[in-house]
Amino acid sequence: MTDFRGLIVALAGGRVRFILVGGVAATIHGSARLTQVVDVVYARDASNLRAVADALAPRGVYLRDAPPGLPFRWDEETLARGLNFTLTTKLGEVDLLGEITGGGGYEALLPHTIVVELYGHAVRCLDLATLIRVKRAAGRPTDLAAIAELEALRDG
Amino acid sequence: MGAILAGRYNGNVTDAVIDAYKKDVDRSLLRINLRLSPEERIEKLAALQRFAAELRRAGLRARPR
Repeated sequence: MTDFRGLIVALAGGRVRFILVGGVAATIHGSARLTQVVDVVYARDASNLRAVADALAPRGVYLRDAPPGLPFRWDEETLARGLNFTLTTKLGEVDLLGEITGGGGYEALLPHTIVVELYGHAVRCLDLATLIRVKRAAGRPTDLAAIAELEALRDG
Repeated sequence: MGAILAGRYNGNVTDAVIDAYKKDVDRSLLRINLRLSPEERIEKLAALQRFAAELRRAGLRARPR
């Protein structure tokens, strides 16, 4: 199970610059659908890569669905060499996304965010219109019912 | 939905499928959620996740061995 609070507090408390996207962002906008992953878009500058690495290092980060025992090292160098990471931690599942289809990276998405108060932290979350746009852009058939719900939320 | 599958829909198929799903969105659940704070919505998600996990465990226990 994913400790949503734990992951959000670990990132926000570690001064990571990130934006909640995906199912948790949908929940923040009122979605009633179940998600088990915390999806975030993170800033790719060197200081933020360090912050991400430090925030999650104590939480036992490993590649999700990878066989055990791989020589995986969790640090800012690994983050710099990759872009999008699907990870498992002691707090649950987290996807760290350098970019998302239809939205780009952290800086491009920043104007399309709202700030919500979560567990004592001001946390950025993708706004509803952009969440719908990127889900449409992703073109995943499994997202179509979720898009319908988000559009119902948008239309009131 | 049936019309789409039968190839009789002339518009954007993605929009048509989304519109088909939209008819079944339970807006009463959305209205309840919108009365909560964002943090309360996350906590409700966590509770739903725990409930789903318990249902899965119960289902596994109930399987004949």
